[in-house]
Amino acid sequence: MSTSQQHGRARRRLAAATGAGALILTAGLVPQQAAAADGDKVLTVAVAQSVDSLSPFLAQRLLSTSIHRLTYEYLTNYDAEDARAVPALATKWTSSPDKLTWTYTIRSDSSWSDGERATAEDAAWTFNTMMTDPDAATANGSFVANFRKVTAPSPTELVIELKKPQATMTALDVPIVPKHVWEKVDDYSEFNNDKNFPIVGNGPFILTDYKPDSYVRLKANKDFWRGAPKFDELVFRYYKDQDAAVAALRKGEVSFVSGSPALTPAQASSLKSEKNIKVNDAPGRRFYALAVNPGARAKNGETFGDGDPSLKDERVRHALFMAVDRKTVVDKVFQGYAVQGEGYIPPRFDSYFWKPSDGQELAYDPAKAARLLDEAGYKKNGDGKRVGKDGKPLDYRVLCHATDPNDKAIGQYLQEWWGELGIGVSLNCVDNVTDPWLAGTYDLAFDGWSVNPDPDFVMSIHTCGALPATPKDTGATDNFICDKQYDELYAKQLAEYDPVKRADLVKQMQSRLYDLGYMNVMAYPNAVEAYRTDQIASITTMPKKAGNIYGQDGYWSWWSATPADTGDSGGSDSTGVVVGIVAGVVVLVGAGAFLALRRRSTAEDRE
Amino acid sequence: MTAGTGEPVKDGAPEAPGPRTLARRRRRASAARFWREYRTHRAGLVGLAALALFALVALTAPLTVGSDVSSVTGAPGQPLETPSGEFWLGTDRFGRDLLGLVVWGSRVSLLVGLLAAALCVAIGTLVGITAGHFKGAYATVVMRITDWFLVMPTLVLAIALATVMSRSLGTVVLAIGVTSWPTTARLVRAQTLAVEARPYIERARALGGGHRHIMVRHVLPNVMPLVLAQTTLMISSSILAEATLAFLGLGDPTVVSWGGLLQDAREAGSVSSGNWSYLVPPGLAIAGVALAFTLCGRAVESVLNPRLGVAR
Repeated sequence: MSTSQQHGRARRRLAAATGAGALILTAGLVPQQAAAADGDKVLTVAVAQSVDSLSPFLAQRLLSTSIHRLTYEYLTNYDAEDARAVPALATKWTSSPDKLTWTYTIRSDSSWSDGERATAEDAAWTFNTMMTDPDAATANGSFVANFRKVTAPSPTELVIELKKPQATMTALDVPIVPKHVWEKVDDYSEFNNDKNFPIVGNGPFILTDYKPDSYVRLKANKDFWRGAPKFDELVFRYYKDQDAAVAALRKGEVSFVSGSPALTPAQASSLKSEKNIKVNDAPGRRFYALAVNPGARAKNGETFGDGDPSLKDERVRHALFMAVDRKTVVDKVFQGYAVQGEGYIPPRFDSYFWKPSDGQELAYDPAKAARLLDEAGYKKNGDGKRVGKDGKPLDYRVLCHATDPNDKAIGQYLQEWWGELGIGVSLNCVDNVTDPWLAGTYDLAFDGWSVNPDPDFVMSIHTCGALPATPKDTGATDNFICDKQYDELYAKQLAEYDPVKRADLVKQMQSRLYDLGYMNVMAYPNAVEAYRTDQIASITTMPKKAGNIYGQDGYWSWWSATPADTGDSGGSDSTGVVVGIVAGVVVLVGAGAFLALRRRSTAEDRE
Repeated sequence: MTAGTGEPVKDGAPEAPGPRTLARRRRRASAARFWREYRTHRAGLVGLAALALFALVALTAPLTVGSDVSSVTGAPGQPLETPSGEFWLGTDRFGRDLLGLVVWGSRVSLLVGLLAAALCVAIGTLVGITAGHFKGAYATVVMRITDWFLVMPTLVLAIALATVMSRSLGTVVLAIGVTSWPTTARLVRAQTLAVEARPYIERARALGGGHRHIMVRHVLPNVMPLVLAQTTLMISSSILAEATLAFLGLGDPTVVSWGGLLQDAREAGSVSSGNWSYLVPPGLAIAGVALAFTLCGRAVESVLNPRLGVAR
């Protein structure tokens, strides 16, 4: 089948670079042998992210939280079809008429991997720990900030009392951990849960091994109450280089490539024509934006950072907004693998999706942007540069991720679009954006968040309450936005239980955010990922129709994945390796012979 | 014997040349001899021709392609087009003409290569001559610093420097320049020691020549051939280093250079999608220029240093 193709490719690469080729081949040999040692069906996923922490109290990265979805049960899960709350550890839930007391019924057929039964006591202990220990509230503290009291009257009953109504009570994304293991931990800020394997859990998979920046290995939980996963083992292997991950997919070393955050258009198009590989191009759950630094400040009123003061003027922000051609961004940079940005929440979440009305829209209009800047008092001088009344030219530093090609590409467009307006742009592409970000030492920055089915979190990061307490602290805030009107709407939607009314409030918030001009959402990038159909026969996307596979809100993809009959794939791989090695040896012998001949021919010249 | 002021005699021998004319004549003669020798090195001639071609391309780039070629908003094509009659090498990820970009990129790559090589040879010569001349504690300290730089992996040091400083061309020049001077310093010091052992230096010293006079007037001209050959060789490694840094994403992303083009190609996923027309031209250009400078450098070296024997 595809064997001949593989041979050809292996040899070409070797001929091009013998040394490098040989290295790649020997490196490729090891995992294949390890995987083939027993007859287990292994699903290997190439990921571009490393694990920040395996402790559910600390983990924030997508990979880590996805692993927690797989290894721990949450009270509720999201349906793969339409993301509504479905039973997980809790089988049903009711609230008191005043919506302040919530009672969850905990299932009795879920047990920890060390044999103990998972009970309401574990859940109560998890929430209470997060409420009492600030270190344990690092990752998911926003869910419990409004909790008054959590108790477990019986092993199957959990009662949560609230201070104020909270709309996210059926979407509490908090992994429930086993009390009998975790109560022995002294310091939650230090404990990373990566010492005693297998890690005790009750999800569809059990974490059995982890090596930082290398791999995470999970074993199927045969006793999982919803049914055991079809694959015996699930391995997340870390590839720093996306090209290497794609090459591994072509060779069959990995079954799935997620991309970071998506495959590039060139990779996707070339993989589409490949046999046995399916490219999944689904509407994304991320937004990709340009965030303005409105002047970093803390809750105690202190300001810090050095954001350009001209950005406090709404007209300047609108002018910048209007000088960005979002259509070009989608057409040229994403080459169609994205949807043009409008509101804040991606169109995939249609109940919350909002777009500006015709009169409100800040469409691409450089002439109007120039007029706005003139009005704001930034006129062009003789050199064609915009200068303020104080004579200082408008020069913005744009913070970009050195690892994200899209940031750099759009940065070049910004330089020309805004340069046309007379505004200087310097791209500051760094590996570590967190430090300047938290310190507020930037003017504009590339920003992006994955949005959950419940938009509470991504809306909360723009409230005044998310600002850091003092300049020294770290707040949950995204870019230091603090707007009274927005905050009022946020408080209202959090207390609103009627889904339609709440969605309306969320849309009003997006409208307000849009008018403020702090967040220019340029695009909603698609989730572009690929997998080998000769290794994975079927896999559930979320939403089921046109959904993504990696980074789902639930554990559906990996739990549902069914292995394909792969009788010959191992064989073809090893013949490829053998041919590669033979070719390498031939090249080396040839080079050696050539050198020897040359040496002989010049022997007389030498002393 | 004419009694008088010691003015040069004008009437007696009108064809007797002054010292300046003599020196000029001697230099012309040695240049001619150098060129005669150089001509016998076929590889050197090939390298020289290639260099002339590259220089021509770089210098005439504003006329042939113009700075508009690097504009992303005015890109004429669609992203990642394959080679065609309109775009001979296809287009890059923004839809810009790749041939034009490779031509335009030659300016930055050559400029950075030349500047970095000049900087590094300047540092190396200064350190080498002073260390060879002054000896003693100064030389010991300076040569230990040189040794330290010599054992440090150049690339790692350059990456560290480029990371902490802001991303600009100046940073790259500086990062390459200050990390690759130790070999030059060692070579120049050795030559300086050899030159200073000669009797005429002692004579100059006896006649009252100061440190500065000896270093500039006597030692420098004698180590110059070595420095020249070293510069030519250094340029090729500087161009390679610039391309490496840009490829690793440490250059200024908004400046078009060959290494930067390679980095763009890699980020666009050209390696795994087999989009060779994006990767190969800048790579070949880097290899071509580096090879041309090396060929020239080797030829110059063997002309100026007969001890190296016949090289082809």
